[in-house]
Amino acid sequence: MSSNKYFKHEGPWSDSNDPLMCSDTGDWRTKRPVVDKDKCIFCGFCAIYCPIQVMEMVEESCFSPDLDFCKGCGICAKECPKNAISMMPEGDFKK
Amino acid sequence: MTQKKKDNLTKVMDYLKYEDPFSKGVAFCPGCGLELLLRFIPQVMGNDIVITGTPSCSAPVLLGQNNQSWHKLSYFGTLMTGAAANATGLARYYRKAGIKNTVVCFNGDGTAADIGFGNLSGAAERNEPFIYICYDNEGYMNTGIQKSGTTPFGATTTTTPFGSASKGKNLRRMNLALKMAMHKIPYAATATLSDLDDLAKKLLKAKEAKKRGFAFLHVFAPCTTGWGFAPENTIEICRRAVKTNYFPLWEAENGKIRMTKTVKKPKPVSTYTELIKKFAHLSEEDLQILQDDVDYEYCMLGGLSLLEGECRLPASLED
Repeated sequence: MSSNKYFKHEGPWSDSNDPLMCSDTGDWRTKRPVVDKDKCIFCGFCAIYCPIQVMEMVEESCFSPDLDFCKGCGICAKECPKNAISMMPEGDFKK
Repeated sequence: MTQKKKDNLTKVMDYLKYEDPFSKGVAFCPGCGLELLLRFIPQVMGNDIVITGTPSCSAPVLLGQNNQSWHKLSYFGTLMTGAAANATGLARYYRKAGIKNTVVCFNGDGTAADIGFGNLSGAAERNEPFIYICYDNEGYMNTGIQKSGTTPFGATTTTTPFGSASKGKNLRRMNLALKMAMHKIPYAATATLSDLDDLAKKLLKAKEAKKRGFAFLHVFAPCTTGWGFAPENTIEICRRAVKTNYFPLWEAENGKIRMTKTVKKPKPVSTYTELIKKFAHLSEEDLQILQDDVDYEYCMLGGLSLLEGECRLPASLED
């Protein structure tokens, strides 16, 4: 449950105690970003340029996408200066 | 090892001081520039902002659906003809009620440049204390990719298609940010998504300038669906737009124009248009017209920024 802690004035039509809406955007993905941990230099470009902001720090040494919400746009792979992220077809991971 | 890696971390991270108020799975297209901008603004400026906006791609997410919402911010949905007028009312109410927050009027280029330009100009002229952010995707993308005032020369849209009778838009684009800078408002700037540190600085400057009056930000945000490019190219297109001077980055305080990023050897505009399907049909002559337009606008900006230094300003405007 999320609560509106930032701003006290809410409209009469909205209920800030309701949970936020959340689509299963991970379902849209056709290609999955796979991070090569050895190549990653921890510059953070993938995290700042990700439109969905799903790249999370893993133990402050590498970034890893939250695959529940990653839409698979591929901006992280394109912007990575070391080409540490590769886009793999989603079908390879399905059982 | 870990410490060494940490030194590499980009400086933009330092600007992201606040929590992202949006839910993770938000209904924007993959690779949407608008989504990155929307998530970036509250993370930099703080969550005590009230967004007002109009029917656009941003509205379904910002307004929420049924009685649920996608984010934790406050939002006030208005009509396109009265976006800035509504923001004026909100800003005045908060000032009279003594509530300290920031009103952000967040609109597309259709509202800012075409339909709602009258009251945008009026609010700027009255120097109302709020921030107006225009995200420029060069057309009415939400309603089906119609052309707007900021659509560049030659671009195909559904109202200016490429065919026997029409060869894309036949007029050059207007320069909205320059028009707003000519209102001599406390702060006007252009920004894009490839230079996020520049965008963050300008957002913070706009928040500071809001105490003195109107602040205007024009943000270049490509649209994958409407322009026809691969979703991974969003940031690359922003970068090339800056490197070809197609979208120069500058800011103007009280009408004093200053370039925030100068490109030493600008590339030809074809390096920008080659990535985008809406420019795919352009012939050499059309490209030359587009290139001349880009050069003309850049020369005008350069001239204005030089003139400011050479002419004598009234003492009240000098820092």
